[in-house]
Amino acid sequence: MKRYFARRLLYALLILFLVSILIFSIARLLPGDPIQAAATQNLDLANEEILNDLRSQFGLDQPLHIQYVVWMKDFFNGDWGTSFGSGEPVFEMFVRRLPVTLELFSGYVFWSFLIGFPLGVISAFKRNTILDATITSTAIVGISVPVIWEAIVLIYLFSVHYRIFPPSGYVPFFENPMENILCMIMPTFVLGTHTAGMYMRYVRSSLLEVLGQDYIRTARAKGLTEMAVILRHAAKPAMIPVVTVIGIDWGYVISGSFLVEYMFALPGFGRMGIDAIAARDYPVIQATLLIVALFILMVNLAVDLLYGYLDPRVRVK
Amino acid sequence: MNKKNTELSISTGKPNVRRKSLVFDVLSHKMALVGVLIIVSLLCMAVFAPFLAPHNPNDQDLYRVLEGPTWEHLLGTDDVGRDLLSRVIFGARISLIIGIISTFISALLGSMLGLIAGYKGGMADMVIMRITDTFMCLPVMVMLLVIVTVLGPGVENIIIAISVLTWTTFARIMRGQVLSVRESPYIEAAHADGASELRIMFKNILPNAISPIIVAVSIMLGRHIMLESIATFLGLGVQPPTPTWGKALRVGYSYLEIVPLYSIAPGLMITLAVLGFNFLGDGLRDALDPRLRGEGDKLPEAAL
Repeated sequence: MKRYFARRLLYALLILFLVSILIFSIARLLPGDPIQAAATQNLDLANEEILNDLRSQFGLDQPLHIQYVVWMKDFFNGDWGTSFGSGEPVFEMFVRRLPVTLELFSGYVFWSFLIGFPLGVISAFKRNTILDATITSTAIVGISVPVIWEAIVLIYLFSVHYRIFPPSGYVPFFENPMENILCMIMPTFVLGTHTAGMYMRYVRSSLLEVLGQDYIRTARAKGLTEMAVILRHAAKPAMIPVVTVIGIDWGYVISGSFLVEYMFALPGFGRMGIDAIAARDYPVIQATLLIVALFILMVNLAVDLLYGYLDPRVRVK
Repeated sequence: MNKKNTELSISTGKPNVRRKSLVFDVLSHKMALVGVLIIVSLLCMAVFAPFLAPHNPNDQDLYRVLEGPTWEHLLGTDDVGRDLLSRVIFGARISLIIGIISTFISALLGSMLGLIAGYKGGMADMVIMRITDTFMCLPVMVMLLVIVTVLGPGVENIIIAISVLTWTTFARIMRGQVLSVRESPYIEAAHADGASELRIMFKNILPNAISPIIVAVSIMLGRHIMLESIATFLGLGVQPPTPTWGKALRVGYSYLEIVPLYSIAPGLMITLAVLGFNFLGDGLRDALDPRLRGEGDKLPEAAL
């Protein structure tokens, strides 16, 4: 198990290295010299000498590989540069916005599991019935609805028409728990329903595969109740593929969270990323992309570990 | 697959996938039929837009801005008095063009690289798979925004950006397929027959590995339409005055309280397009791989 994990960890580090090079190059490709851009906004800076000073201050006059090494070293020391837009340290911006995004994620987990898992199980047991067909098609509709449109429709229904939830904005939980929950219900629901459809399908197909196995028939022949068959024999092996795809789908969830934060004006990490892209604020873009990549790699690593636990065969391979 | 079929395929080196009734299989699948109907309607809408649209989509009437539905303007008018219905009808063109071209490029590129990675193995496989793993860590939607910012907005750039970011899905699927087909007896037979590597790759392996790619093309087409509309929604995609669903969704969103249909109608079209291709993809999967009939999916769902 240790060797298996060490191998996965090493591989993740290699990919992290490749991703960081990709991000570093993309940030250098963004149009417009950021220093020049800052200068056009502030006429006092429009002097070549001052500009050169600034470039060396930000290290932009160094050769690329040195810039890369410095960037990585600073990143792991918590120095993520300062935003060109607000002049704030990027690390502090991130830390301040993290709780909003984490709250959004927990809400998404709540909705998607609450909806996706039971429906997947029901669908598998009522296989090829009208109920199954209805659930399966609803799941595809759920997957197909774009996040932005679902958000608009919900805002129209529940904020404009019925005025139940606020259309946008965020109130921290410790300031006013009730308001916080009210303003998070729609965003978390949109993100949750989007993935619930996928989880439902994964749970269904995985459970169907497991239920067709001989050992399930043996368990039933022993006279176990259906509940015991599921919990004791089917649940663990059926979870293996589901866990994998949930790991793979994290990128999807993160994309969704960026859009949801944008649509509902939540001051989270995703909103910071989209605003930075629009403003070409590249210290923020660089940091955002690297954090996202790091996060996805960590989730995948956790999935690998869980996978090793759920399926003993993996450890040996 | 019965025994006779297997023998036949070994002796002739021909693919052993049932082909004769693919269209029939797909059309007899209820969800797929709905998908086909949606897609055909959208295609007709795009092709015959000038005949279907009641008004010129770019004609402005500044005396009649942001009107609700009337008999003259069935969906109402937009913020500069253009007919919304006509703009929604013409919007199908750009979405479908971008969806189809970007999917074609990314499927072609991804399948070729996946085929090489799976068949050749070794260094080629290592490099291609490391690239796909690297791309896996960066969500397509987020990277799309960054790359379009680098390239600048516009139809060509958005097609390039989507293709560059999504070929890895096809490469992964193709590689997996090739690895499972490569060891089949009929490939061995072709080797023994003295067939060239290229011939084996394209004549023997490709036709037997293509089914999941066809399914993925359908699903990714919907995804790509969604990606385009998101980028356009955020102001980074197709630029005005081209009528697009994404742009109408964006501008309409600001007038949600006055004319809800302004953003709800184009959004519904995007949803229908994605839904149509997802339904068709599901039907294709069942038709191409009877073993999976009604068993949900084996493809990576997420691409966004």
